[in-house]
Amino acid sequence: MSYETTIGLETHVQLATVSKAFCGDRNEFGAEPNRHISEVSLGYPGTLPFLNERQVEFAVRLGLALGSKINRRSTFDRKNYFYADLPKGYQITQDDRPICVGGALPIRTASQQYAAGAPTVRVQLHHIHMEEDAGKSIHAAGEAFSRVDLNRAGTPLLEVVTEPDLHSAEEVDAFMSGMRQLVRWLEISDGNMEEGSLRCDVNVSVRKQGQAELGTRCEIKNMNSMRFARRAIAYEVDRQIALLEKGESVMQQTRQFDPQSGTTSALREKENAHDYRYFPDPDLPPVVLTDAYVQTLRDTLGILPWEAYTELLALGLDPDDAALIGEEKHHYLSFVRYARASPAVPELAKLWVNRVLPFLQQRELGLEPEQFATLQTLIADGEVSAANAASRLLTDLLENPGDVRQRAVDLGLIQNTDTDFLKHIAREVIGANPDKANAYRKGKKGLIGFFMGEVMKKSGGSAEPKETQALLRGLLEETT
Amino acid sequence: MNVDEGLVLRLADLSKLALPPERVERLRTDLVNILAMVEKLNELDLEGVEPLRYVTEVEQVLRPDRIGNHLDRNSALANAPDSDGEYFKVPRVI
Repeated sequence: MSYETTIGLETHVQLATVSKAFCGDRNEFGAEPNRHISEVSLGYPGTLPFLNERQVEFAVRLGLALGSKINRRSTFDRKNYFYADLPKGYQITQDDRPICVGGALPIRTASQQYAAGAPTVRVQLHHIHMEEDAGKSIHAAGEAFSRVDLNRAGTPLLEVVTEPDLHSAEEVDAFMSGMRQLVRWLEISDGNMEEGSLRCDVNVSVRKQGQAELGTRCEIKNMNSMRFARRAIAYEVDRQIALLEKGESVMQQTRQFDPQSGTTSALREKENAHDYRYFPDPDLPPVVLTDAYVQTLRDTLGILPWEAYTELLALGLDPDDAALIGEEKHHYLSFVRYARASPAVPELAKLWVNRVLPFLQQRELGLEPEQFATLQTLIADGEVSAANAASRLLTDLLENPGDVRQRAVDLGLIQNTDTDFLKHIAREVIGANPDKANAYRKGKKGLIGFFMGEVMKKSGGSAEPKETQALLRGLLEETT
Repeated sequence: MNVDEGLVLRLADLSKLALPPERVERLRTDLVNILAMVEKLNELDLEGVEPLRYVTEVEQVLRPDRIGNHLDRNSALANAPDSDGEYFKVPRVI
């Protein structure tokens, strides 16, 4: 019996705002414990939440990018549960009317990425809502207490909830990578999974091939590493299939993944939704957006990652070059500026991927598009070998921008294609090595390498190799 | 809605309330009465009427994304039953 896997994701995106969702505490990862707190984030009686306009803006921008419908009126609810790192006893979230509804994220799986063509799979979204993060609890081994740090309490989050529209760990990986790229592209989050800026709950179910209704799902909480998520999904799919094969049924549960053992285990039976006793938060009136506000954000959205990728392919780039250059918006924008001046865009892309992107990790690019165009022209005309241009010339220019042709001359990289000059040297070399020339003529054709080497030496490395070899062969054959 | 002892105990559990046994029946009766009062709404024809979520017409006022009003850590921890000078300490959760 073969089975089909169905996966839905709840992705949490921590927003890169300056302050928290409902108060002015600094929103920053990695500070000393309990430095970014206030009466509001500590849930003191009598305090009121005051919504950060940035959170709304970021939600709308993400929604517009994903093609969601933007609700002109959205509302906040309280999700009630008790936990030590949730001082109010409830989380402010949007249950009844979230800010964005529907939409889709186009994804490329690793196997598609390196095949030609634009993204094909579109993962449908259920909605996107605004909420706040909880604090952090630390449970050290052997201690009778837990420690609570509330720096993260009240950090603004967007939760992106997909339809059960994914079917493999590979697609989950592609979705999370795509989401990471998009939130960074839109500059609404740093998308850093290790620091928890991007994490997801994975809902997994299996059903027999051809079965109409979905199987019972289990939710694996808080995956903040794609490597773990892949292993957790693989384990969970096998576990559920094994249960069904034994004639047992899957219980709806919340499960956690243990990276040590590579297994998942039940955290709790799934509370039904009523256990959170959602109700409208009376402290927060509805968020009302005007059409003009939404339109302004739409107008300033700019090109989106999958559009940029398609455009790079249209410029003639390999899919893997397009993926690398199009990963980050500023790299993409910079590349197209240089591409406009370039005589050969796909070759420029190779230089970009191999030389410029690594350089940009450390430094700003000081070369103008015209200088790159000159460099490429030197290669195309055979004046500088492609290898020398990419390594010695470009390295020197990146470190110390200047006139490209002059630099090639200064570095002695201009190849000599002057036939008279080359012929002169070639004759000298042949004349000085009559035995080897004879051997060549008698069939030891491999000696051409020796003669090439000698000519290179005499020309100070400037002889253009193709031309030189043709000349040498000609001269060796004709001399008797 | 059937309000039985089990429901009262479950709500108490979710609210982290320790209910003395003698209060369970009293609370159950209160809950039944409250629900009966709300049930009266069912006598009205509410076809096409949106649920009232807010009793005022006020709209959300947004706050500029700026830093302000931090609470000093020592003061915050001073209000807690227990701390280690950096963290709040609570009875072990896991």
